[in-house]
Amino acid sequence: MTGLRQLNDDLGTRTSELIERLHVSRGTGRMLVLLVVAFVFFAALRPNVFLSTLNLQNLALSAPEIGVLAIAMMLAMLTGGIDLSLVNIANLSAITMSTLYTTIHGSNPALAEQLVPVLVLAGLGVGLLGGAINAVLVAYVGITPILATLGTMQIYNGLAVVWTGGRTLYGSPATLTNLGQATVAGIPILFLVFILTAVLVALLINRTPIGLKIQLEGSNPMAAMYSGIRSRSVLTSTYLVTGLLGGLAGVLFIARNPSASADYGASYVLLVIVIAVLGGTNPTGGFATVLGVVLATLTLQIVASGFTALRLSAYQYAIAQGVILILVMIADQVTWRRRRQRRPRPAALAPHS
Amino acid sequence: MTAPSAPDTDTPVLQVRDIVKTYGGVTALDGVSFDLYPGEVHCLAGENGCGKSTLIKIISGAERPDAGEIVIDDVAHRAMNATAAITSGIQVIYQDFSLFGNLTVAENIALTSAVAERRRLYSPSAARKTARRIVDELRLNLDLDADVSALPVADRQLTAICRAVVHEARVIIMDEPTTALTHSEVDRLFALVEALRARGVGLVFVSHKLDEVLRVAQRVTILRSGRQVVTGPASDFTRQSISESMTGREISEERLVSELSADASVVLDVKGLGRPGAFEAVSFSVREGEILGVTGLLGSGRTEIAEALFGVRPAVSGTVKVDGKPVRLRSIQDAIAAGIGYVPEDRLTQGLFMDRAIGDNIIAGSLDQYRTRWGTLDNGKTRKTIRALFDRLRINAPRVAAPVRSLSGGNAQRVVLAKWLAIRPRILILNGPTVGVDVGSKEDILEILREEAAEGRSIIVISDDVPELVAACHRVLVVRQGRISHTLENDDINVDIILERMAA
Amino acid sequence: MNDSSPQRFSIPNLRGPNNEGILALILLGLIIVMSLLNPVFFSVSTLFAIVRSSIVPLIFALGVLLVIISGGIDVSFAAIAIFAGYTTVAAFGSGAFGTGLVGAVLLALAIGAALGLINGVVIARFRLPTLIVTLGTQGIFKGALLTFVGSRFIADLPQAIAGLSTTNLMSVATASGRAYLHVMVIPAVLLCCAMAWMLHRTMFGRAIYAIGDDAEAARRAGFRVVRTQILLYVLVGMTAALGGLIYIIMGRSASPQNLVGTELDIIAAVVLGGASIFGGRGSVLGTILGVLLVQVIGNSLILAGVPSAWQRAAVGALLVIGVGVQAVSAKRRRRRQPSADGPDLTREAMTV
Repeated sequence: MTGLRQLNDDLGTRTSELIERLHVSRGTGRMLVLLVVAFVFFAALRPNVFLSTLNLQNLALSAPEIGVLAIAMMLAMLTGGIDLSLVNIANLSAITMSTLYTTIHGSNPALAEQLVPVLVLAGLGVGLLGGAINAVLVAYVGITPILATLGTMQIYNGLAVVWTGGRTLYGSPATLTNLGQATVAGIPILFLVFILTAVLVALLINRTPIGLKIQLEGSNPMAAMYSGIRSRSVLTSTYLVTGLLGGLAGVLFIARNPSASADYGASYVLLVIVIAVLGGTNPTGGFATVLGVVLATLTLQIVASGFTALRLSAYQYAIAQGVILILVMIADQVTWRRRRQRRPRPAALAPHS
Repeated sequence: MTAPSAPDTDTPVLQVRDIVKTYGGVTALDGVSFDLYPGEVHCLAGENGCGKSTLIKIISGAERPDAGEIVIDDVAHRAMNATAAITSGIQVIYQDFSLFGNLTVAENIALTSAVAERRRLYSPSAARKTARRIVDELRLNLDLDADVSALPVADRQLTAICRAVVHEARVIIMDEPTTALTHSEVDRLFALVEALRARGVGLVFVSHKLDEVLRVAQRVTILRSGRQVVTGPASDFTRQSISESMTGREISEERLVSELSADASVVLDVKGLGRPGAFEAVSFSVREGEILGVTGLLGSGRTEIAEALFGVRPAVSGTVKVDGKPVRLRSIQDAIAAGIGYVPEDRLTQGLFMDRAIGDNIIAGSLDQYRTRWGTLDNGKTRKTIRALFDRLRINAPRVAAPVRSLSGGNAQRVVLAKWLAIRPRILILNGPTVGVDVGSKEDILEILREEAAEGRSIIVISDDVPELVAACHRVLVVRQGRISHTLENDDINVDIILERMAA
Repeated sequence: MNDSSPQRFSIPNLRGPNNEGILALILLGLIIVMSLLNPVFFSVSTLFAIVRSSIVPLIFALGVLLVIISGGIDVSFAAIAIFAGYTTVAAFGSGAFGTGLVGAVLLALAIGAALGLINGVVIARFRLPTLIVTLGTQGIFKGALLTFVGSRFIADLPQAIAGLSTTNLMSVATASGRAYLHVMVIPAVLLCCAMAWMLHRTMFGRAIYAIGDDAEAARRAGFRVVRTQILLYVLVGMTAALGGLIYIIMGRSASPQNLVGTELDIIAAVVLGGASIFGGRGSVLGTILGVLLVQVIGNSLILAGVPSAWQRAAVGALLVIGVGVQAVSAKRRRRRQPSADGPDLTREAMTV
């Protein structure tokens, strides 16, 4: 009899958990709606331009690098921090790959092509290194993430400028460039890389002990410490992964445009933070948040592409970004406050009431 | 009890009539009335959730009541706001004192009245003069130029009181004023209270510390579940009657402890533990299956000893052995690895992840146990563990996925307990396990502790709820001024003896 | 029980509430080292050059200081600055306004106040995180400037303003020619004094410190938090606008693409000057020292022949070292003096 009841309870818990996950939670539901609305809006205004295969493929090509950066930013925000150095890590990674390629190419062109996997690893390695420096500053020295990454952002940028002499580097293996343009069933490979990354990160956050520790650390660092969670290792892992993702973004940079420069993507920092916030990044994240960030990336790319289709300028896009961000945050705050007022604060929870 | 002095004690300085306040569907206050005479100390007592916080917030203007009125000097107000309250002479001193750590003592004292007077300019020397005047009048010894953040808690409280008095406060409401004070600091506070009473200031003490309530109050009002249960002169009450009115049930102070087998091994052996300024020469042992109580006045060092054992603030000298093996407790990880768990005093900030699900909270401390071969979390295992503890501790919530924020105090504490039971420590230390917990949960938690002890776990309960210690502990240690002054067992474990030993 | 002068003249007091003393020592040390290495450094022309290059950053930094003391971060000030400055110049150039310098300044201040008002209302009214809001408004302001006002490079400034570009307060004859101290140093100095006075001698200033330390306690103490915050951001907007106008005057040209991108250097200087990123602490003196420090380092690198590309990295490294030292000493202090509020939690959750 207990077995049956157990089964029943189990089933009940599993179903409700599933519903919770699919449930229109804060980030995902709203994002899905916005995505559809934006798409329909621009499609209606300029169907011939907007809905063309070229445009859609362009969209699918430009989203990945931003999306990967946004996922990295989301990860940093999950622990209550932020990583301002992401774009510069990506640039350094691209610059490293380009320099390595050009150097090897100079003496042995064929070898250079063959060594593509090594180049990619080098790019990722640079990302990991950048992340490691961030990790040391945040986790060991104890500098607050915003200031630490503000500093490393300048340092990485400075290094990149010195290295490239301020010029743009051209030089990238043809294999990589081809990969950047290739598609599978009409979907660009780069896009698939993005989705794969999103899935892996979501798995990391939701299905691994370290992932849950990251979420808990962001939710309440003091309680995490008292529960035996080592904040040092959690933060180190976080910034190592964001660095790695930054390196990956650098690989995507150079795969899409066979060039690398120190100041590429300067406007991405704001954009990526906007996307992370829109995607509903909050400590109760996990799957819903990664999905939200993916949707937010696509939405903003749709808006960007739509603006281009409508012959609006990049500056007007910047205005739109800012306005969307603020409106969404205000809407969030209003609904959150209304919800708080409705549900009574459980006064009994406070040890002194 | 000293008789109230000269000021006119016939008309109340503050009257609160038939206050009703609801949040959502929950009634926090249901027609509560309260009054205060000049020069009187009126204590507002009750368990957590009884509504005393809400009443204070309404009086001070932080909240608006749904019905009722606030009468000051024969002027009835439908509701107050912070500025109006301050202008009427009502000042609240919250538990965190609401001081500005980055400003000096003088600045803190003088600032609020400057704000209330809507001054534009600010003069540091005038502020200093004001502060000096009040500090001298109250015969206190405060360093006016010290940064408040560098002050010890008791001095911060004095600063807060000075701030209240400077603006000619006629009503000072103090929220749990003695919680963070040592014995001598409490004496100093009560002497100051007498000085304030002589000036005609009316004081409202919000407290659940029964002994202190009776010591200083002229009248007592007890709230329970938003209703006023009784109001009367303090002389009419005893500890027993107050706690009965607060909880609504008779508190039995009987013991229920298991028999410890004679050959139960020593699980925890502490010798000569010390940390300068906190405690010294602490030695005791705990056997398998034993529930050891630790008590003492605040500031006696009892929490510091627990924190040292849990690696939060490690001891500097002494040795600790778990199951006969010496352990170094330099960090929380060391303590957990050694088999020591700790349910902290402040569960909101230290024990729980409020916005996360109950399930997440339960496995928060044992995550590495559920790792599969590939490094992922074994969902089956976690689900089983969560379910088992959820049921065992009888956590009252609709689903395992409900956020902890939605739970009552008693249930939230069960979640913290569940987290530690999931780790299965050899020794479980609990600091104030039933603070802010409803009566039913209190008994349940004690029962759970007894069950755990019966299964061989060693339990240390730190508490100043003496009846609770009497009810559940095999032995009780009394800590005084950083040392273990008494070890009580068997017949010595009763409320009166313990209280006596604590205070002596 | 001494009631006399509150300033006890002792070594700890010389340090200053935010370690300004140490900063001053570092600055002094740096100057001495540089002068020894390169005697050219220790000259009036270098001094004037450093002062000249510090003027605009200092004005911006004062605004940023206010926000940081109040517990927030503002990255939109550069956008406000260039918006106000460029629009003013463009408006005057088109002949629409002809009322001279005073009119120009007033127009710029008005624009700055309006943009600052937007920041203030969104942040204070809705209690939104300051970094993200100002990131958003930065995009909006810059985008709006380039879309609605214009994007061309203005090489000839209006009569009213152009004169000031080449006005100098004083000039000194040196071995290598004349050294000039630009007249714009006057508004900078005046602004410093005004800010310092405002922070320490007005209730508004005290309110900013209080809110930065604990906004909730400030509310309970009767401070009008929302009003103060809105006024604060309006003030910051006006400061930024002034800085933008002066930037254009000193640069003798106006381009809407300028200034945005330099925010982080200013924030770095303010933080180096001892302001706490968590709010509640900071001083005008510290900010001045921080800005000077960054400028001196930049200047030293130039004199040492280091390519300007390294300057970015240098400022970044300086910031990391500066805050790193602060973080480590804070950790050590907390370990020595465990307060009643719990153990050594050395990393605080970021207030975005």
